[in-house]
Amino acid sequence: MDILQLIQANLLTPIILFFLFGIIAARIKSDLKIPEAISEFLPIYLLAAIGLHGGIEMRNTGFENMLIPMLAAIGLSLLFTLNHYQILRRLGKFNLFDSYALASTYGAVGAVHFSVGLSFLKNQGVTSEGYIAAILAVLEPLAFILAIFMTNMAVSKQIKTKKQSFSDDDYSNIDVGLNPTKTKISKVLHESITGKAIVILLGSIVIGYIIGEKGFESIKIVFDDMFTGAIVIFMIEMGIIAGQRLDDIKKVGLFLTAFAIIIPVFNGIIGVLVSTALGLSIGGAVMFGLLMASASFIAAPAVLRHAIPQAKPSLYITSALGITFPFNIIVTLPILFTISTLVHSGEGTIDLFNYITEVFL
Amino acid sequence: MKLYNVKLLTVTCEILAQENIIEILKKHEITGYTTYEVDGNGARGIRGQGLKNEKNVKVEVILREEKLQDVVEEISRTLFANFAIVLYVSDVGVVRIEKF
Repeated sequence: MDILQLIQANLLTPIILFFLFGIIAARIKSDLKIPEAISEFLPIYLLAAIGLHGGIEMRNTGFENMLIPMLAAIGLSLLFTLNHYQILRRLGKFNLFDSYALASTYGAVGAVHFSVGLSFLKNQGVTSEGYIAAILAVLEPLAFILAIFMTNMAVSKQIKTKKQSFSDDDYSNIDVGLNPTKTKISKVLHESITGKAIVILLGSIVIGYIIGEKGFESIKIVFDDMFTGAIVIFMIEMGIIAGQRLDDIKKVGLFLTAFAIIIPVFNGIIGVLVSTALGLSIGGAVMFGLLMASASFIAAPAVLRHAIPQAKPSLYITSALGITFPFNIIVTLPILFTISTLVHSGEGTIDLFNYITEVFL
Repeated sequence: MKLYNVKLLTVTCEILAQENIIEILKKHEITGYTTYEVDGNGARGIRGQGLKNEKNVKVEVILREEKLQDVVEEISRTLFANFAIVLYVSDVGVVRIEKF
C-alpha cells in the first residue's frame, strides 16, 4: 500500500477519529470531559495491558535475543537526546534549560504512542516482539536522567566561572543563590524507577511472563479485547487537552514546530532501519521506530518540573502533545510501517534511499 | 475564650511545586499543613484543566510569627522565579497556641 493511502486509511480509524473529535470538542468550548478518575486510570490500564502482552510474548520467544536491541535502543536514545540538544541550543537559540528539557522530552518515550502503535499493528494484522515493552520500561527514565545530569554539569560550570569572577567575600551569596538549581540525580533516579508507570509496566511484564498464554485466557477480555476501546476513550481526553493547547502553539514558534515534526520522523526512520538490521520483525521494527520517534508528555512534566524547573513547561508539553503526538499517530506511524515493510521485503533494501527521497521530496 | 494571635500562610501554586513547599516547611520544623486542589486563572492562564500535573494546589499553614519570615523568604527565593505561585499572609486566632 502507498504511504498516502495508508495515512488516509489510518486517519479513518476510531483512535484517530476520536482524537480529532476531542480536539473539536475542546475548540467549540464544550464542557465534555472524561472524569478525572478514569483519565488517571486509563494510563495504568494501558501500561498493564502492554506489560502483560510483552510478558506473554517474551515467554513464547524467550528473551536471550533481547539484549542487543535493548542496548541499541539505549544508545540511540542517548545519542538522539544529545543531538536534539545541539540542534535546539545552536540552531534554535533556546536557553540551556529549555534545550535540555526539550531534548529529553523528545529523547524519552511515550506510553500512549506505544499503545496506539500496538493497536495500529493489530489493525494491520502484524505482531511485534514482546520484549519491546521491556525496552519501553528501560527507556522511560533514561533521556531525563541524561538531561538532568548534563544540566547539573552545566550549572556547576556556570557557578565555577561566576565564582572566579567574584571576590572572596561574595562566595556565600552565590552559593545560596545557585545551589537550589542543582538536582540530585539519585533522587530523580529513585523517583522515576519507583514511579507508577515503570512499576506497573515491569510488574505486568513479570506477571505476563509467569501466567503465559494459558493464564491470560481468563483476563483476555479485559486486557486484550478491550484494549483498543480503552485507547479510544483515552484519545478523547488527549484530544481535549491537545485542543485546549492549540492556542499555545503560536507561542511555541516556527522553529520548534518544525523540530517537533521533522525530528520524530527522522529518529523513527533510523529506529526502523537499525532494528531491522538487528533482525526484528516488520512489526517489531515499527514499534522500535515508534519508541524512537515518540515524545513524552505525561512523564515529562512530572520529572522535568522538579529536575529542571527553569525550563518552560508550556514549550515541552505543548510541542510534544499538541504537535508531535498527533503528527506521529497520523503520519509517522504509517510512514514507519511502510518503510519497515519495504526493508523487510528484501528487494527494498537497495532501493530504500531512492524510495525515501521519492516520497519526501 | 482566649484566642492567641498566629499567622496563616496561604500558598497557591502549581501542583508540582507542592513537594518543594512541604520540604521547606519540614526544614523549618513545621509539620502541620493543609492542602487542597484548586483551579483558577492568573498570569499563566487558566490552570487546573487537563493534565493532572498542571493543576493548582493551595497549601495552608498556621505558624508563629518567628518562623514566618524565614519560610516566606525561602519560598520566595527558591520558587518564585520558576513556578506559578502566589502567597499571602493573614492574621488568625487559635485556641491552642501550644499546637503551633
